[in-house]
Amino acid sequence: MRFLRARGAGDAAEDLVQEVWLKIRARAPGPIAAPLSYLFRTADLLMIDRFRSVKQAGARDRDWTHANAGDPPGVSAEPSAERRVGAAQEAASVLALLDGLGPRTAAIFRRHRIDGAPQKSVAAELGLSLSTVESELRVAYRALADWKERET
Amino acid sequence: MATDGAIREQALDWAVRAGDPAFADWEAFMLWLEADPAHARAYEDVTAAVAQAAHVIAVAGPANDDAAPEHRPARRRWLGGAIAASLALVGALSLFQGQSRALYTVHTAPGETRTIALDPGTRVDIAGGTSLVLDHQDARFARLDEGQALFTVRHDASHPFEVAVGDQKLVDVGTVFDVRHDAGGALSVAVAEGAVQFDPGGADVRVSPGEVLRRAAGTSALTVSKVATAQVGEWREGRLTFETASLADVAAQLRRVTGIAYAAAPGSAGAVSGSILVAPLRKDPTAIGPLLGLSVHAQGQRWVIGAP
Repeated sequence: MRFLRARGAGDAAEDLVQEVWLKIRARAPGPIAAPLSYLFRTADLLMIDRFRSVKQAGARDRDWTHANAGDPPGVSAEPSAERRVGAAQEAASVLALLDGLGPRTAAIFRRHRIDGAPQKSVAAELGLSLSTVESELRVAYRALADWKERET
Repeated sequence: MATDGAIREQALDWAVRAGDPAFADWEAFMLWLEADPAHARAYEDVTAAVAQAAHVIAVAGPANDDAAPEHRPARRRWLGGAIAASLALVGALSLFQGQSRALYTVHTAPGETRTIALDPGTRVDIAGGTSLVLDHQDARFARLDEGQALFTVRHDASHPFEVAVGDQKLVDVGTVFDVRHDAGGALSVAVAEGAVQFDPGGADVRVSPGEVLRRAAGTSALTVSKVATAQVGEWREGRLTFETASLADVAAQLRRVTGIAYAAAPGSAGAVSGSILVAPLRKDPTAIGPLLGLSVHAQGQRWVIGAP
């Protein structure tokens, strides 16, 4: 709760706690090595999702409670043909931007964010130190945040 | 009170650190967020941008024959990277002599995955424990002898992509689909985008997005049921979802993805449902027990799963 408030959930924090639990149950993760960490992570990702969908709807006001209510799994993931062309162009510009940062930065970003590999394994795969991976990701994140700012 | 620029830098740091599964310092992160509402906003901006970028790449990665031409070079560079990476990875390539085909087989060990780019816009993600036959001279053909692969195919009506599975043939209609072929002969075809024509010369079943076609081992009966498109190919992210699956099926899929020798207890029936991340199993193979409500015990070099 405290974390969700700190993350900017405001009055919706209580509803979100409920949703965090639902998410955790739906994923049926069973025993987890670090339950508290897992809880925080789930809450954090939920907030990121929320923020993104609210932004995409063009509503910057924080009406968290009914953003993406009840989309059955898999359905919302199917973009219309029109949206797909837009998305392809957007993807091309994101890829071009990442490419522009150098192949190493782009590869690290892809492995970590698209394939979901932990930073430690990305470092091991590429024979780099963890701090190098972190700083490369930082470069990519900064460029993407700048890109997003320009776009909106 | 830090300046906007400094807050931005801190937010970048936290976004990188908290975005990693290994991150544990949530207490410190929370204190930072609470120190100033501008912190949370800056963090939100960074993570939203990153999440959106990752999302559009992931969504557009699959078959997109309609990308505007001026964007092609960027895509090709990525694919070039993918080709180079897979070439570096390809270990055992054996060459077969076909009539007009130049076939070669790509094998993956259980627990291993590999991606092969066939042409710009077409690639195959190969799961562990798989034998996939490809053709040097024809990038629009693949034969899945055993195992599982996710095909992301650029549509070309004049030259459709063909996948042979056992004695069956699949023809794509521009698409992302996952094909599984087990040692016993069972097969399944799950479609995330586009459509697949199964056995066009015979049964001629069209499999649409969100559908999975199955054929059990030793039968010719086909069933088509629903599947969440997000589930198709999820093994690439280390996730497996079972819906009233048999123990033998669960064991086979676990073996393929983890490389751990799981086996089904002999004579055990039972239908298993659940969705799991396989990463924890690599550390502790017995963790599958509570995850899916099964019993697990070691027997020689194997982990035998059974009804609880």
